[in-house]
Amino acid sequence: MIDGTVVELSRIQFAATALYHYLFVPLTLGLSFLLAAMETVYVTTGKPIYKQMAQFWGKLFMINFALGVATGLTMEFQFGTNWSFYSSFVGDIFGAPLAIEGLMAFFMESTFVGLMVFGWERLSRGQHLAVTWLVALGSNLSALWILVANSFMQDPQGAHFNPVTLRMELTSFQQLIFSPDAQSKFVHTSIAGYVTGAIFVAGISAWYLLKGRHVELAKRSFRMAALYGVLATVGVITLGDALGFVAAQAQPTKLAAMEGLWKSEPAPMPFNLIAFPDQALQKNAGTVQVPYLLSLLVTHSLDGTVAGLDTLERQAARKVEDGIPAVLALKTLSTNPHDTAALAQFKAHQQDLGYGFLVQRYAPDLEHVTPQQVQQAARDSIPPVAAVFWSFRLMVAFGLLMLAYFVLAVIYTLRNRVQDQRWFLRVAVWMIPIPFLANELGWLTAELGRQPWTVFGVLPTWMSASTHSVGYMVFSLAGFMLLYSIFIAVEMALMVRAIRHGPDESGDGATPPGPRPGLAPRPVPAAPRHPVPEG
Amino acid sequence: MKTFLYFVLFMFLAAVVILLAAMLGDLGAWYFAWLIGTAMIVLVAAAGAALLDTQEEQAADRSGPAPPRPS
Repeated sequence: MIDGTVVELSRIQFAATALYHYLFVPLTLGLSFLLAAMETVYVTTGKPIYKQMAQFWGKLFMINFALGVATGLTMEFQFGTNWSFYSSFVGDIFGAPLAIEGLMAFFMESTFVGLMVFGWERLSRGQHLAVTWLVALGSNLSALWILVANSFMQDPQGAHFNPVTLRMELTSFQQLIFSPDAQSKFVHTSIAGYVTGAIFVAGISAWYLLKGRHVELAKRSFRMAALYGVLATVGVITLGDALGFVAAQAQPTKLAAMEGLWKSEPAPMPFNLIAFPDQALQKNAGTVQVPYLLSLLVTHSLDGTVAGLDTLERQAARKVEDGIPAVLALKTLSTNPHDTAALAQFKAHQQDLGYGFLVQRYAPDLEHVTPQQVQQAARDSIPPVAAVFWSFRLMVAFGLLMLAYFVLAVIYTLRNRVQDQRWFLRVAVWMIPIPFLANELGWLTAELGRQPWTVFGVLPTWMSASTHSVGYMVFSLAGFMLLYSIFIAVEMALMVRAIRHGPDESGDGATPPGPRPGLAPRPVPAAPRHPVPEG
Repeated sequence: MKTFLYFVLFMFLAAVVILLAAMLGDLGAWYFAWLIGTAMIVLVAAAGAALLDTQEEQAADRSGPAPPRPS
């Protein structure tokens, strides 16, 4: 059996590297399409300021992109080094989207990023615009494949377990990529990146407006970011609702943990606005509730109910008892794959195989499992409720805060008054970390809520890790933390330097009113003015 | 001839989009929503910039010609 400390260290290492990596990813996803928008305006209007905008924000995009790629590479190797049983168990399914992601990221995305950076003087306007759009598409389609792979861990669709090879095998690629979890998670995550990009651009533009530097560029950047951000935030919230609806079907324990719902209740169910979940006592220490709201939010009906963790634990106990014969049959099949009685036994109980694995942690001899061991395994099926509950609450709170911020930003910028609202500009600068935090909290909700599984209902986390020593794990974890902290420091230093330096000057800075050369459109043939008829 | 080639190109793109929409509409409505939504978000942001240019030009027209810059 794998040492529990090694499993926990493997989890911490993956969580730490993923959370570091995800400080870079959302900005890449969001800023890429914002660059495409800026360059589209440049190509259609011919005004040089939009080229200047695309080049300046493109420089910040590149700093972020380079460090995002560097931090992402190691994660793919961790599946093999730290999660070898997991990789062997689901590699046939998990490997396909990861391979496609590799092709997308390193061939399509990287090729076009090179053209985008070095192609300003070598490509025509239209060609460069096409390249910028392809960078944006490539970045987001890379994310699609990672999220398809992750969705398989949340809701394993399009695969079955082969009792002879002792591995999961892909049965339907279509089901894998079109699973409801994959779809809603991709759109939710991708658009959350757009929100991040928008707040980043709006915040830095606000800083320039406060300083009176690059005013024309900052006003235009702020306007575009505000409109881009308000629509994206509405999209994120909509897809968050869809993702919750999907979780209610596929991962009821995660949903119950997100809502701090220890006991099943009749409809209409109240929503726990604030609660202090106690995992040991299986109840909330104190709650502030909104009547009827949970039924409405999760089932979109006042008559709908959501299963509480008490009901789900009882169901898990039954599944554990049903899964034990499946694991026993598997042991027989591993020595004699032609044993028809064992095969028949496996097929009769295979839907609860994962729950049979769950109890093995407490009962290595599955021939003699006690009711207490079944109960222990059933209780293990409940994720860490307080962490999931608060990660989710804070993410939602940040989402609503960003919506309010963008609505106000749109009102001010559409009146062309944002530069006069100095308090709001200061708020905009302080808003920059919020979407990054919201993104991290979203991942914490998704991944902590999936526990105790690496593949929900199929493969428990405790048996997915590699058999490393504790010393090896501590050493590699410390190494990663140090290296990634250096990456973050480098990113921050490069970003701050580029922002302080600002865009290449074109006379649009803190200048008195007058002609603005950067805004001049490309020359067009003069057209005769139609006289306005009088009277 | 150039117009005809553009016409063929855009008709081809329209056919691809319709095919993609029909497929995605059946299998992955949220993927389809992402395609449409992303295009819309980008275009609204771009339109916002164009609108700001117009607002600035109108404001400049209202305030009259800019004073000469000190040499």
